Amino acid sequence: MIEHEHDEDRRSTPRQGDLIELSRESSGRPDAAPKTSRAIIEVRDLVKVYGGDTRALDGITFSVAPGEVFGFLGPNGAGKTTTIRILATLLTATAGTARVAGFDVAADPHEVRKRLGLAAQTPSLDAFSTGRESLELAGRLHRMLGADVRRRAGELLELMGLGSVAGKLTGAYSGGMKRRLDLATALMHRPEVLILDEPTEGLDPQSRSALWEELERISAAGTTMMLTTHYMEEADRLCSRLAIVDNGQIVVEGEPAALKRGVGADVVLLQFEIPDGEGQVAQVRRLLDGIVDSDAVTPHPVGVALAVPDASAAIPALLRRLEGDGLSISGLQMSQPTLDDVFMKYTGRSIREEAADQPIILFGA
Amino acid sequence: MTAFAYETYHLGLRTMRRFLRVPANWISIIFFPLIQLLIFSQLYQDVVQLQGFREGSSYLDYLAPGQVAFAGLMGVAWSAYGLLVEYRSGYMDKLRVAPIGRWSILAGEMVPLFFQAAAMAGIVLVVSLVLGAPLETGVGGFVLILALAGYFGIAFAGTSFIPALLTKSEQATSALALLMFPIFFMSTAFVPAALMPDWMQVVNDWNPISFLIEAIRQLMVTGYDWTAIGNALLSLTILGVILQIGTLWAFRRLAR
Repeated sequence: MIEHEHDEDRRSTPRQGDLIELSRESSGRPDAAPKTSRAIIEVRDLVKVYGGDTRALDGITFSVAPGEVFGFLGPNGAGKTTTIRILATLLTATAGTARVAGFDVAADPHEVRKRLGLAAQTPSLDAFSTGRESLELAGRLHRMLGADVRRRAGELLELMGLGSVAGKLTGAYSGGMKRRLDLATALMHRPEVLILDEPTEGLDPQSRSALWEELERISAAGTTMMLTTHYMEEADRLCSRLAIVDNGQIVVEGEPAALKRGVGADVVLLQFEIPDGEGQVAQVRRLLDGIVDSDAVTPHPVGVALAVPDASAAIPALLRRLEGDGLSISGLQMSQPTLDDVFMKYTGRSIREEAADQPIILFGA
Repeated sequence: MTAFAYETYHLGLRTMRRFLRVPANWISIIFFPLIQLLIFSQLYQDVVQLQGFREGSSYLDYLAPGQVAFAGLMGVAWSAYGLLVEYRSGYMDKLRVAPIGRWSILAGEMVPLFFQAAAMAGIVLVVSLVLGAPLETGVGGFVLILALAGYFGIAFAGTSFIPALLTKSEQATSALALLMFPIFFMSTAFVPAALMPDWMQVVNDWNPISFLIEAIRQLMVTGYDWTAIGNALLSLTILGVILQIGTLWAFRRLAR
């Protein structure tokens, strides 16, 4: 019955400098199990159908090993939050199974809840409680004892940089402070698994990178994390492994670096003063015939994109070929593949659904 | 059971903080009963000359018990509002992810209403006494009146929770609370039953608020009338059981 262990072995080298122990206390037993023998999150063929015909999840299968930071990267509406809510026992799946820390979310929700910390997409705090009261209530509900509740709340407030506002009502907190307090309430009971839904959504860049540092520290202390995001930088920076999801399915899964290597090429972007799309693409294809495959030349909003295996070495030759011939190249950009390119490769679409990347259509123009 | 009590206690403390930390909450609750107490006791002071009123007593004496009960009613008329706001903000999900019983979440909202209604009634009772209303039964009666008002608060809270849980709309819940006021106006809060038209007397015979008011009135004006107190407890229990069953049923759908 007791299928889960407090996999302390994942923390092979306890870090001296750690202010605070973020994961479960060690049980004191030597744990001989190999590092990845048991998944702490195990999801199989998960399906969720809303209202009879909306298939939010269409057969999701993945597992997360103790100590990992596993990411779900995908555009809005891909099924990320639905997956999170099923794992957090807030939603029942239509089909398939999910186990967290050894317990089935449908059969043993109470056991799952004891071992899980959830930080939802929007921080959910009681506006009329102080930061300290919020943490202490979370501790109490997890049956922590008085002295431990006070000590742990104090530690977390300091760790999250909220010491000076601990006695203020959370309704008066800034967005970044709310996020950090919300995260702290999720960590209060030293969960085995921390689940974060879009942890930095809506934060300014400064607060975002501060929170990233926080999450890195939590992960370094050994807590298993699963997070969803539609920010590629976030997935890239935090995740040891990630799954790209689209339309309720996992498109591809792997380590970020390996996924990017899988794209196979760097991107060289030729910018034109007046991009005209297909005409320039054809011209570039002709000029580069023999050194770049015509498939690797694609139109881009500012000009023409080339996929070139080793861009820095290839650029002199490319430029010689492109010189003259009436092409007025106004700029040149070189970049390594991003997770967006990975997403593009597997779905044919860009993950950046933001309007900035869309052509602006003026009616009547 | 101990788990339920433990969780309800900690969640209830939070609910109390939420109520107390916004002074507008309790000011708006006691405002209406106090205004009625102050203005109507002057405006209608001669109404006691009609038959049916106790001879030799002022209209304030008659009016005060009803306003004490009204404060209890006002104290819970919008009581499900906080739950709805937190359902929408996602705080409810935070509680649902915690390893606690689902009913504790509801009890954490409900149980404090006993103290909320009792406290609101207590403020109006104290003001009534300051204005000159009697309290024949003294401290014992004071405590008993607050307990009755608190009991009424829990029993009556379903009138806010049931529409809130069914509509999940703050606006609908607020608006529906106003529909409860006529039930109060058709009680013996303002005039004795003998002065009501026949049809309203029939309504009054079944009005649990009237039973509450009569029990409070006896405690204030004459003394311990255990029949009146017993009738109040019985009618409030019947009201409470019906409304609580409805609330539990409506909450089930939300919290699962």
